[in-house]
Amino acid sequence: MRKNAAHLVIILLTIFLFSGCLGGREINDLEIVIGMGVDKGQDTQDIIITAQVVKEAEVGRTSDESGGGKAYWNVTGNGKSVFDAIRKVTHKTGNRLFVSHSQVVIFGNDLASEGLQEYIDFFLRAHEMRPTALILIAEDQAADIMDAKPETEKFPAINIVKLVKSYRFTSHFYKVNMKDFVSSLMCETTAPTAPIVKVMEEEGQKNIHIYDMAVFKNDKMVGKLVHEETRGLLWVLGKVESGILLVPYPEDQGLLSLEILKAESKVTPKIENGKIVMHIKIKQESSLAEQSSALNLTTMSVFEKIEKAQSEVIRKEIMTAFEKSKELNADIFGFGRMLHKKYKNEWEKLKDRWDEVYPTIELDIEIEAKIQKTDLLVKPAAPGQKEE
Amino acid sequence: MNVEKGKICSMQLFFLFAGFVQGSVLLVDFAIGISESQTWMVILIGLGLAIPFVLSYVALAKRFPGMNVVQINDAVYGRFLGKTLSLYYIFFFLMTLSFNIRDVGELYITFLMPDTSFIFLLVAFSATCAYAVSKGLEVLARISHLIALIGIFVPICTTILLIDQMDFSNFLPLFELPFARMLHGIHIMMAIPFCETLVFLMIMASLDKAEKAKKSILSGLLVGTVSLFIVAVRNTAVLGNTQTIWTSPSFQSTRLIDIGTVLTRMDFLIGIAQTFLIFFKCCLFLYASVTAIAQIFNLKTYIPLVLPVAGIEVILAATVFQSKVDHAEISQNAGIIYSAPLMFLIPPLTLLIAKLRNLPNKGGKNDS
Repeated sequence: MRKNAAHLVIILLTIFLFSGCLGGREINDLEIVIGMGVDKGQDTQDIIITAQVVKEAEVGRTSDESGGGKAYWNVTGNGKSVFDAIRKVTHKTGNRLFVSHSQVVIFGNDLASEGLQEYIDFFLRAHEMRPTALILIAEDQAADIMDAKPETEKFPAINIVKLVKSYRFTSHFYKVNMKDFVSSLMCETTAPTAPIVKVMEEEGQKNIHIYDMAVFKNDKMVGKLVHEETRGLLWVLGKVESGILLVPYPEDQGLLSLEILKAESKVTPKIENGKIVMHIKIKQESSLAEQSSALNLTTMSVFEKIEKAQSEVIRKEIMTAFEKSKELNADIFGFGRMLHKKYKNEWEKLKDRWDEVYPTIELDIEIEAKIQKTDLLVKPAAPGQKEE
Repeated sequence: MNVEKGKICSMQLFFLFAGFVQGSVLLVDFAIGISESQTWMVILIGLGLAIPFVLSYVALAKRFPGMNVVQINDAVYGRFLGKTLSLYYIFFFLMTLSFNIRDVGELYITFLMPDTSFIFLLVAFSATCAYAVSKGLEVLARISHLIALIGIFVPICTTILLIDQMDFSNFLPLFELPFARMLHGIHIMMAIPFCETLVFLMIMASLDKAEKAKKSILSGLLVGTVSLFIVAVRNTAVLGNTQTIWTSPSFQSTRLIDIGTVLTRMDFLIGIAQTFLIFFKCCLFLYASVTAIAQIFNLKTYIPLVLPVAGIEVILAATVFQSKVDHAEISQNAGIIYSAPLMFLIPPLTLLIAKLRNLPNKGGKNDS
C-alpha cells in the first residue's frame, strides 16, 4: 500500500515537472524558411541575408481571393557575418528563422567572385541546415532572384528547386548540393561548379532562368560554362541523364534531333612517358526523335553514318569543355583527384605544380554511340518517298 | 562469494557481446578524424590484433569459472596487490563510463535537443541506466537481443538507402595515411570497441557454462565488427573527402538520404540506434563498476551502490572536460594510454601467473 502511494506521488510529480517541452517550438511560432539568398551590401560591406519565409495563412488560399497576395515574405537582415545577419532578422520576424526546410541557398555574384569559403561555413555547421540544400549563384544579386514571383508555383525558392531538378531533361546544367560543393572545394585541385540563376525580363514579366554553370578556382568564381560546355563536362563525369543532340546529317542539309537515353563513362588516367593522358570511354544510347530531312534514314548503312556523326558531336562538346577549362585553368573534371587515386607516388610531385600540368593533359576519347529506336515513325512523312 | 546471483547462458553472452561492441559506434565517427578513408582497414586490423587479448580474457574466465575479476586478482596476486589491481580496474570502469555518458549528452545537445540543459540529459540518461542495472544482469541479458538487432539493422538500412550516393573510389588511394596516424587509429580501434570488453571479466562469472564462452564471444565480436565496418564504409563511400570535417559523419551521411524527396531526414534512425547502443554499453560499464566495488568490500549485494555511483558518474561526466574539444583531445591521446596496461598487459600476465602457480588449486583449499 505504501509502495503504491509512493508510485502515485512519483507519477504526479512527473506529470507536473516534465510536462513542459523545453525548447519546444509550435508551428505557429515558426518562421519556416524555404530558401535563402546571401549578398554583400554595396556600400556597407555587410552581409545581407534574404530569407524566404512561408506565410502559413496564405498558403491554402488561391491568389484571387486575397487579391494576389504573396504566400511568402522575403525578409532581410544585415550583419557582419552570415549568422549575425540571420539573427538580426529576428528584429523583423519576432521569431528565430527555422531553416530546416531551406532547400536552396543562393549566393550573390559579388560573394562568389570574392570567395565563398568564409560564407559557406554557417550553412554546413548549423544543425538545422541540410547537406542536401542546393547551392546556386545569382548572376547579380541573390535578393532579386528571391523576389521574382513564378507563374505556376507559389514560392520562388520552390520554383528554383524545380528548375534545377529539370537538368535531367537537357543536361545543360547540373544540380549541386552543399555536400557536393564542399567536396570539390576541399579537394586541392578540383574546381567546384554551381548553376547560375538569373532574372530575365520578358514582356514585363520577371522570369527566372537557370542557364550556365559557374566555375570556381579554389573558392573564387572565375568563369562560366555555357550549355554545350557543361554537357561536355557531364559526359566525362557520366552524369548526362538526357538531352537533345543536334546532329547534322552528312549527306543532306537536314538536322537530326537525337534524344539521349543513356550515357555511361569511364575515365582511366595514365601516365605514359611523363605525359598525362586521360582515357575517356563513353557509351551512349539515343533515339531518333526528330528529323528535318526527307530522306529515309532507317537503313544500317545510314545509321552507321549517323552514329559516327553523333560521336563527333559528343567529342566536340567534350573538347570545348576541356578547352574552356584549360583557358580558366580550373580542373572541373576532377582529373587531379583521379590521378591521385591511381598514381599515389607521382601525385606527390604533380600536385604542387598542378596549374602548370593541367593544360598539358591530353584526352583520348573513345565514344560508342548507338541509336536504339526511331520512336513511332520508321520513315519521315514526306512526298515522293523513294526507296534506297 | 559472488555478488551476482543471476545466471546467463552462452546465447545471451553472444548478444551482450555483440551489443557491447556496437556500443562503440560513436567511435567510428571519431576515428575518421584520425584514420580518414582507411577507417575500415583500421577496424579490421584492430580486430585482428585484439582477438588474442580478448581470448586471454576468456581464458582467464574459463580458468576461474564463477569468479569475477576482483576475485581472480585476489586469488592470483594475494590480498594487497590484488585489491590494488582491482582498484585500477574500477578506476577504468568509472572513467570510461563517465566518458560514454558525456558522449550521449554531447550527441543530444548537438543533434537532437539543442536547447535542453546538458546536465538534465546526463541525469535522465544515467537514471535510466541505473534503473536497468538495478534490475540485475539477467534483465540486461534479455534486452541485449533487441539492442544488438537494432544496432545491426540501422546501419544496413541506411546503407541500402544511400547506395546510389556511394562512390567506392573514395577509398583510393589505399595506403595514403602516414604510418604513425594509422598506428594511432589501430590503437584506438583495438582499445575502445574491442578491448573494452574487459568488462566481461565481471560478467562471464555469471555464465552457466563457462566452457562455451569462447564461441559466443568470438561470434559476438564478429557481429559487432561487421556493424562498425558497415558504418565506416558507408560514411567514407558517401562523404568522401568531406568526411573529416563533420562532427558526426554518421548523422551527416544519413541526412543525405533523399529518396524521391519523400524518404528524407532519416537521421532520427541514427539517433535512435546510437542512443540504444550507448545506453547498453553504459549499463554494462555501470554494472561492472558497482559489482566490482561491491565485491571489493565484500558486500552481499550491489543494489545500494547503483544510484550513488550513477550520481557520481553524472558529476564526473559534467565536470571532467571543459568542452567537446577538450574531450576529443583527451580521449584521443591520454585516454587510450592510461587504459593500455589494463587491457594489453595485466590480463595475459594474470593468466601466465595463474598457470605458473597452478591456480586455482584443484585441492579445493581456495574457499573464494
